[in-house]
Amino acid sequence: MSLSSLSTLNSQLSNCVLCGTCRSVCPTFGVINREPASARGKVSLCSAFLNKEITLSERFIKHINECVLCAACEENCPNDVPVIDIILAARQEIFKKGKTDFSRIAVSKFFGSEKIGRNALKVASKIQNIFFKQVPEESGLHRRFPLPFVHGKRLAPRLAEKFFLEDRRQKTEVRSKKDKSQPRIGFFAGCLINYIYPNIGEASLNVLEKAGAFVVVPLDQSCCGMPAIGIGDIEGAKRLALKNLEAFEKYELEYIATACATCGDGLKKRFKELLADEGEDLQKRVENFSSKVRDITELLVNDLGIRQSPVSGLRSPVSIVTYHDPCHLSRGQGIKDEPRKLIEMSGHNFKEMKNPCKCCGMGGSFNITNYEFSMEINRKKALDIKSTGADIAATTCPGCIMQIKDGLHQLGVKAKVVHVVELITLNN
Amino acid sequence: MFSQNIIKELTNIVGRDNILTKREDLICYSYDATNQKFLPDVVVFPRGAEEISLILKMANFEDFPVIPRGAGSGFSGGSLPVEGGVVVSLERMNRILNIDTENLTAVVEPGVVTGEFQAEVESLGLFYPPDPSSLKFCTIGGNVAECAGGPRAVKYGVTKDYVLGLEVVLPTGETINTGAQTLKGVVGYDLTKLFVGSEGTLGIVTKIILKLLPLPATTKTMLAAFPDMKNAARAASSIISSKIIPSTMEFIDKNCVKCVEDYLNIGLPIDTDAILLIETDGDKDLAEKEADAMRKICLDNSAIEVKTAKDKREVKELWKARRAISPSLKKLNPDKINEDIVVPRNKIPDAIAGIQKIAEKYNLTIANFGHAGDGNIHVNVMIDKSNKDELSNAQKAVEEIFKLTLNLGGTISGEHGIGISKMPYIGMELSPAAIDVMKRVKQVFDPKGILNPGKIFPKGRE
Ligand SMILES: Cc1cc2nc3c(=O)[nH]c(=O)nc-3n(C[C@H](O)[C@H](O)[C@H](O)COP(=O)(O)OP(=O)(O)OC[C@H]3O[C@@H](n4cnc5c(N)ncnc54)[C@H](O)[C@@H]3O)c2cc1C
Ligand code: SF4
Ligand code: SF4
Repeated sequence: MSLSSLSTLNSQLSNCVLCGTCRSVCPTFGVINREPASARGKVSLCSAFLNKEITLSERFIKHINECVLCAACEENCPNDVPVIDIILAARQEIFKKGKTDFSRIAVSKFFGSEKIGRNALKVASKIQNIFFKQVPEESGLHRRFPLPFVHGKRLAPRLAEKFFLEDRRQKTEVRSKKDKSQPRIGFFAGCLINYIYPNIGEASLNVLEKAGAFVVVPLDQSCCGMPAIGIGDIEGAKRLALKNLEAFEKYELEYIATACATCGDGLKKRFKELLADEGEDLQKRVENFSSKVRDITELLVNDLGIRQSPVSGLRSPVSIVTYHDPCHLSRGQGIKDEPRKLIEMSGHNFKEMKNPCKCCGMGGSFNITNYEFSMEINRKKALDIKSTGADIAATTCPGCIMQIKDGLHQLGVKAKVVHVVELITLNN
Repeated sequence: MFSQNIIKELTNIVGRDNILTKREDLICYSYDATNQKFLPDVVVFPRGAEEISLILKMANFEDFPVIPRGAGSGFSGGSLPVEGGVVVSLERMNRILNIDTENLTAVVEPGVVTGEFQAEVESLGLFYPPDPSSLKFCTIGGNVAECAGGPRAVKYGVTKDYVLGLEVVLPTGETINTGAQTLKGVVGYDLTKLFVGSEGTLGIVTKIILKLLPLPATTKTMLAAFPDMKNAARAASSIISSKIIPSTMEFIDKNCVKCVEDYLNIGLPIDTDAILLIETDGDKDLAEKEADAMRKICLDNSAIEVKTAKDKREVKELWKARRAISPSLKKLNPDKINEDIVVPRNKIPDAIAGIQKIAEKYNLTIANFGHAGDGNIHVNVMIDKSNKDELSNAQKAVEEIFKLTLNLGGTISGEHGIGISKMPYIGMELSPAAIDVMKRVKQVFDPKGILNPGKIFPKGRE
């Protein structure tokens, strides 16, 4: 059982034979090149903590936080050691003892609100120009003054003028006219699409409608809870899960679509684990909810069975497109082919990059609390994108988009970074 | 034992960012792949020979143990600080210093990861053959110290066949160079060969000059399944005696096949008793001719099926499976006593039959895989250490397996080294006089016994 406490993971911890295989794939180890940054090191530390050889010391916490939750270790571990569950359990201990550092909590609380689209961020979006200046060639911002949490070199994303969900509010919840034969789809936005990339949300709705779906955007939806899980705040994540259940249960839906790899991974897998002890009834509801969740690319290709871009006529010039596999889509949900099929349908020329499944370094709040470290991981990704010579780097996660934009900007690479669904509507 | 003064001095040598003394960090340098733990007192990350020299001089003066460490993937406990002391991690010394495409040589620092080095030279059309299954994470320094080998040994030899020269810091602190950049060289004793396989007990290697080969044009990969281990072993022997040298010839028994198939699900034939994974490389026509001949030999020895890998992806999958065997065996039983005996190649069938008998006699699960091409068998006695009877039976079984190996004209370790794991058995193979001269060699290099103490030779008289 996952998301459980460290002590219940004892036998999984002892499954680690200390072979060191994970050293070859762990991105945090790849940067630091020291054992505590590897999965083997972190697993050993958790064992040592359980055996009371060490306490929740600052050093322990530092090492446990140096993980981007990319699951590369798990994918390559010959003994199925659930490294991520182990690390999340350790972070739960840290959170329960009130030792999670403030900036982590702030990120999780700020973004992971129950009422996304109706809080302080709204104000922030209005006043951000005081603090930031726009970078001309990029859709990003550079800070004007020293700011806490904002690193000097960082290309900060611009908050949307109008948040995705709020924009919907002024219209109606329901996107298109009711037609019984259409597949009924609920759209789960997620924080990053809501606050920063509403364009991805719009593109998703467009494509879905063009593909013949009937789309609902429940306005009471909230954050998926992954930021809270990431810092070990299980109670917080539970509240969000319940809220989302209620928001989507109001409608009769066949599918729940998301264009965020991380949200999708959370909605599919983590909800069940979060609400595991809350009674059979709730379990059934979660089961029902999670079984409907689809990443937008798999929904389009597999469930709606689109065989060509629903948008005809290439108007924009044909570009070279490369694709980055988000950890939470490729390893988390096992989806690799569908986004590539969509890129093919878009009419652009596809060029595979070296190591497309390597983590971009975002790692949720890791990018904010360990900015330079995170960009160091990203450097390899940015270089791999650069060597393809692509004009467009496509991916399927707004978090990755944010991170890759920043990395390419710092390398001086001009390639556009987009979500795959934007490619099949960009042509419109 | 570790005074603040020593720590201060060490800090002065390597710099504040390159020394660890907190318990949390020491724990991460207390283990290797033997799954045993010994806490060091300090871990340092030196940048080069000069710093290491200062550390070793200080160790002689202050009398503390120094333990070199690569990736900590060793199977005999070589990098474990069994008596505490300072672990010298070579993780920071990980630069490829030079690849000479005209003379086909390269110079590397010891912390370079073997597989990364291979990828680098292959991108230049060159080839560094030694391929321990741990190649994706082990270091070349660790390979040199253990004289690591791999599947390609049957055709290409092991690490020692590629080391032309070394820069080594002696335990007393002097830095020496051995060998030369050239393929030949007979000036003085061959210290290079002495250091290779010395398990970090005679000096700390700080630079390695390696020999490279041209990258073979093609590689053919085949998988043959046999109804019985005896057939597989016979097929392997007949391939060699028909004067074909495959570039690899690995055998995998059914226990091992089950464990990796369970992990990877790539469709390995799990209902057979044994698999041979065979490769041949070189000129395209020749490789194909050899592949055909080997396929025929397998079928003549009752192979149920012989499949050729269709593309690079299939080859990659097969090798991923092969390399995952050792760590995945945990599925059979929680603890593993792993031995890597070698017998003359034509004695493999006898060795396997003998091991099977021993397994039955002691009622143990023994999983075997290894390098049929060079007679190296990885014998894994899978037990639950908390079961005291099983543990003592396993120890008896291991001793019998060693006796069997030596009777067949073999050796008790092909590539993993002695370290602490095989220390009690060294006397079974080596005469007292041989052990004595080795100890005297150690004494000459390391009079105070500060470098990697407690390894290879059991304390006291044997
Ligand atoms: C899954 C798995 C598969 C394996 N497969 C194989 C295989 O096929 N063939 C094989 O031969 N081995 C194999 N091994 C064993 C191991 O990987 C090798 O022995 C490897 O050479 C160890 O390298 P390392 O960098 O991890 O060294 P470590 O384990 O860190 O150290 C090994 C020894 O080398 C010494 N040492 C390290 N660096 C230096 C240096 N610069 N100077 C002096 N001494 C030094 C250490 O003191 C120690 O005695 C395998 C291990 C695992 C976990
Ligand atoms: S790969 Fe798995 S078993 Fe091996 S060290 Fe890493 S976590 Fe442990
Ligand atoms: S999840 Fe990724 S960063 Fe974390 S330990 Fe595993 S490989 Fe390393």
